[in-house]
Amino acid sequence: MLTPFLLGTVVLVILPMVLNLVLAFTEYDALAAPVWRGFETFGVVLRRDLFWIALRNSLLYVVLAVPMRLLGALVLALFFNRPRRGNRWYRTAIYLPTVIPAIAYAFIWLWIYNPLYGPLNQLLGWLGLPQPLWLVDARLALLSIVLMSCFQIGEGFIMLLAGLQDVPHEQYDAAAVDGASRRQMFGQITLPLLMPWLMLLTIRDIIASAQSTFAPAYLMTGGRPYYATLFMPLLIFEEAFDRFRFGHAAAMMVIMLSVVGVLLYLLYRLRGGWGYSDDI
Amino acid sequence: MTSSQRWLTWLGNILYHGVALAIAALFVIPLLWLVAGSLRMPGLPPPVTVEWLPQPIAWSNYSTIFQIVPLAGYIRSSLWVGCLGVTITLVSASWAGFAIAQLPAGARQRLVLLAVSLMMAPSTAMWLTRFVIFKELGLIDTYAALVAPAVMGTSASFVLLFYWTYRRVPIELFESARLDGAGALLIWWRLGLPLAQATVVAVGILTFIHYWSDFIDPLLYLKSEKRYTLAIGLRMLQQLDLTNWSLLMAGATVMTVPAVIGYFAVQRFAWMEGRLAGLVR
Repeated sequence: MLTPFLLGTVVLVILPMVLNLVLAFTEYDALAAPVWRGFETFGVVLRRDLFWIALRNSLLYVVLAVPMRLLGALVLALFFNRPRRGNRWYRTAIYLPTVIPAIAYAFIWLWIYNPLYGPLNQLLGWLGLPQPLWLVDARLALLSIVLMSCFQIGEGFIMLLAGLQDVPHEQYDAAAVDGASRRQMFGQITLPLLMPWLMLLTIRDIIASAQSTFAPAYLMTGGRPYYATLFMPLLIFEEAFDRFRFGHAAAMMVIMLSVVGVLLYLLYRLRGGWGYSDDI
Repeated sequence: MTSSQRWLTWLGNILYHGVALAIAALFVIPLLWLVAGSLRMPGLPPPVTVEWLPQPIAWSNYSTIFQIVPLAGYIRSSLWVGCLGVTITLVSASWAGFAIAQLPAGARQRLVLLAVSLMMAPSTAMWLTRFVIFKELGLIDTYAALVAPAVMGTSASFVLLFYWTYRRVPIELFESARLDGAGALLIWWRLGLPLAQATVVAVGILTFIHYWSDFIDPLLYLKSEKRYTLAIGLRMLQQLDLTNWSLLMAGATVMTVPAVIGYFAVQRFAWMEGRLAGLVR
């Protein structure tokens, strides 16, 4: 009864990943048979300016979005942790943007950010604040995409809530008896116990950011203005499905995933371990 | 409690709910703006002030989008893909979860670990070569390419949901059925599925939302317009007229409403799925 699951895993996950690695060393247009090129494909890719722009943008996105999303989820989870009447509804509201389909979510924000018609600038104007051009402004476009991603943090929020519920009450009671301040309790009890969850969320978010920029970049900006929102997934997509250079696209994919791997390794070194055991 | 203490508690409550409501509003506003935007009369000049409800309300936007693109056809495709995906997923995910729950500890842990790493695997890494594999199998431009992941339970998290459901069932129950001479398939059908009713409903709805929302797979694997799902249909709507915001928002609303309803129906399970990756003990 495990057959479909295991067969699917092999054909749809493991085989594609291995093939991707092989494809990265070839030239392939999805019509004629692939031609072996060795490391030449990587050389070609690395000499392209667009590749470096996309890589830089993707890294910038990770560096900006991951901490912001994590911090947002943490603050919200801490705020809504204690049992209060109505919390169920607040939690539901916070999770809501997370369930909106990616394509609809991109269109909603395309509308919200519209400098002329969009409700965001109407609101800012009404408040007497400056009205930026958002996605049209080359300096703000990437930040705008980071900002909209900060509303889809339902999963992290719920995970951290669950983590907070696992913190034993006795520890707080004991600390209160010892006269610990709330900040001390947070630093010495809550944060260390929450660390495994925060690590896990960071790992997840770094991996997810390898793909989550595709929908906004493809649907909202097309990588514009001046390649300010050209991210790796969009470049790979265009390389493969518009220009039929599957080999080069595969090489880019390998490089992107290696960079993700390096980021995770740095995180691992920084924390001196994954922060949690692998027991399940 | 003195009256001044009571008064302080009351003030604290007001303050708490004030802040909480403001945060909640922040997360709901994008949806409100979506609906408001979808009801704006097309061709109106930009609003001069914040518009929570446009004047006049143009319900006609919703009928217009069905006329300018074959939206009904797109929705039919999406429903069909969704139903197909849900059926296959329910069988394969519950089979896998059922089987894993009854394996000896070592194999069980390895499979759970496999499922967890599958949840972490970036789907981007599969774009190119799944396309190549589907092309070799002649599945490009068929719905089979879209629902192929259902064979492995769509998402490893669904397999894990079933696994946890079955782990709570005492193993003796299945053992005794086996001693009575029932085969694994029969036990799954007679005992397993009925025991996991809540999970079946939840995974079914979550799977439907997954296929309903999926836009990358149809973008990669569908070629002919008559097979387009709603997600790609919306893209057509966008390309048709980029300036007509109300119609695009109406389309986005049609896409969003089923996902939101589904979420409300299985909220607790959706949350559970959301934190499934947190297999931390």
